[in-house]
Amino acid sequence: MIPTTPTVEPDDRQLVETIRGGDTDAFETLVRRKTSKVYALCYRIIGNAEDAKDISQLVFLKLWENLEKYDPQYAFDTWLYRMVTNVAIDFMRNKQSRDNAVNSNLRLVKTAADPEQSVVVQRKEVENVFNEVSAILSPKQKTIFVMNQMEDLPSAEIAKVLGCRESTVRNHLFNARKLMQAQLQRRFPEYAQLWRAK
Amino acid sequence: MISCDSFRMRFHTGTDDAALLEHLRACDRCLDFAAHADPDVMFRALGGSEIVPPGGVDAFVDGVMQQVRVRDAETTVAAGHVVAWPRRFAMAAAVAIAAFGATLVYRNDVPVNLEPIHRAELRTLTTKPIVEAYDSQNATIVEVPTEETDDVKIVMIFDENLPADL
Repeated sequence: MIPTTPTVEPDDRQLVETIRGGDTDAFETLVRRKTSKVYALCYRIIGNAEDAKDISQLVFLKLWENLEKYDPQYAFDTWLYRMVTNVAIDFMRNKQSRDNAVNSNLRLVKTAADPEQSVVVQRKEVENVFNEVSAILSPKQKTIFVMNQMEDLPSAEIAKVLGCRESTVRNHLFNARKLMQAQLQRRFPEYAQLWRAK
Repeated sequence: MISCDSFRMRFHTGTDDAALLEHLRACDRCLDFAAHADPDVMFRALGGSEIVPPGGVDAFVDGVMQQVRVRDAETTVAAGHVVAWPRRFAMAAAVAIAAFGATLVYRNDVPVNLEPIHRAELRTLTTKPIVEAYDSQNATIVEVPTEETDDVKIVMIFDENLPADL
């Protein structure tokens, strides 16, 4: 029997070093490793599958072009998340200004549901509700909310990603909750009682 | 992943337990239970799992790598342009030297005219009035106003008795 040495997957930093040496295959490995993570964050911030896919691709292209700037003493994921949030926030800002220009008078208010009615919470519906009520948030607020509540990143880590103070992150989180609660009350009163602003 | 029973027993308000969150994000029945027990978990249930982009990971990675190769090719072409600049300067210098040399040869071929240039005489051109003085009772004489004092004065004479040779 031929003895086999177990192949150890290189970690992110090692991969980056290999890529810097001009190895395109190593970059492909890195993209494959990070695709689901990057896409998930983009999708949750942007709320649209196709846009999220385009933005994720753009993130990886930027990653390829700026890999020289990565400082290995910091966690690779923090650096990657910073790139994702920058690109996604830029996209959201442009999208918001386009949407505001087109739909400035189209603000639908859903008030038909009975606020006292008990509701069966279903994932798809929760996703729709989130997309609707989070539209009120600024791109930065939404990004912070998503990273904290859905990616489970603590506020200290989010502060590192965004390059701001932890107190700023907590402020954004507080304001995001307040705004979303008000939107829930207006548009989905049946869910408002299920979700409260802290 | 933990079972539904285990989840419902362990679940409590404000939980950050990774195992509980993992179950919450995967199980629809427990989502309803948890959302009624702790409203704050409603949106937390949307997170966690990694999502596959439309078309799958392979297609996505292929798309990225294709664009990377295009960017690389563009960069190489651009770099080629940078290398070609010294060559372009050399060509421009060669053309300039050739043009200068041709000018020198052309100047040597044509004999230089050493005759002094005659200065043209300056003549003052003035107009002489056709009629210097005219006196008539029936004539209508119109004088065109002038803007400057040294302008030529134009005078028009309308007279049926004006001599035909004027």
